[in-house]
Amino acid sequence: MLLIQSNAIADALNSSEWVFPIAECFHIAAFAFSIGMIALVDFRMLGVGIGRSTPSQVAKATAPWTLLGLAVVLLSGPVLFLSDVRMYLHNPSFRFKIGALLIALIFNYTIHRKVALSDSSSAAVRVVVAVVSLALWVSVVFGGLFIAFA
Amino acid sequence: MLLSFVQWLQFTGFFTALRGSAYAYPIVLSLHMIGIALFGGMVLMTDLRLLGWAMRKRSMSDVVDQFRVPKRWGLLLTVTCGFLMFGSKAEEYYYNSFFRTKLILLALVLVQELVFYRGVYANPAALDQAVRTPVTAKLAAAVSMLLWISIACCGRGIGYIEPPLDKIHAQLLPRSTYEGETAICFLSNPTP
Repeated sequence: MLLIQSNAIADALNSSEWVFPIAECFHIAAFAFSIGMIALVDFRMLGVGIGRSTPSQVAKATAPWTLLGLAVVLLSGPVLFLSDVRMYLHNPSFRFKIGALLIALIFNYTIHRKVALSDSSSAAVRVVVAVVSLALWVSVVFGGLFIAFA
Repeated sequence: MLLSFVQWLQFTGFFTALRGSAYAYPIVLSLHMIGIALFGGMVLMTDLRLLGWAMRKRSMSDVVDQFRVPKRWGLLLTVTCGFLMFGSKAEEYYYNSFFRTKLILLALVLVQELVFYRGVYANPAALDQAVRTPVTAKLAAAVSMLLWISIACCGRGIGYIEPPLDKIHAQLLPRSTYEGETAICFLSNPTP
């Protein structure tokens, strides 16, 4: 059912050879921006650079921009997906990526956010949270890239 | 001259091995993207701050200085991985118009850096003291943003150009299968 409905959308998306590459460029620019912002918070929690600000300052300053980047990522992503639903659903890298993305998003807005915003968190907790966050987002990027090679 | 250099480069032992590995290319490409997330994220945010569109509560020097380290590590990772990808298929890249455009834009980035480094990036503390952000700083940011976004788009464009199989040197590992696939696609269904 999903496949039948998506055919009409896919046809519309595939009617112009520019829709997919332009959506891709937005997707890339926005994920670079949002993951870059999240990485800043992680680096601060690891104690690597950004020495003049506390973790909560970095988290607060980046939060609206991370959200904006993620919004563009989550709007452009479905455009790419709908252009060839069948291929993506059967692609193991795509499935891995979506799984990692969901975990990364939930982690980012629960544990990561809580620990980053509390300047009284212990150093060990911060390091663990930062490493998990970086590992999750790196997995998402790897999964995304491997879609084309799986 | 340049063509013989890229041919030599891609047939060196290292790059031949890299090209032969099924996983090397996607892994290097993924790391290239991780580098872009770091470097590109920092560049965009620095530019947005100089333009006065983001992080206005933080001083310009705070943003410019503190982003410098992650920005440089990101750039190092991106450039290293970019060179690895180029070397493994150097001849293919040589013919690629998007790749050529990308190199020209990267040269323009160097020009941008030379023009604006002293006035803007070398002494961000001076920007904090200015009553209004100098036009040069805003111009530097706008040019930087435009160039880097274009570079990223050109980078993606590289993958959309089919290598000119008639011009390209033989013996590339994936080439034979590639040619076969193209022929089969063409016979059965020219356009979907």
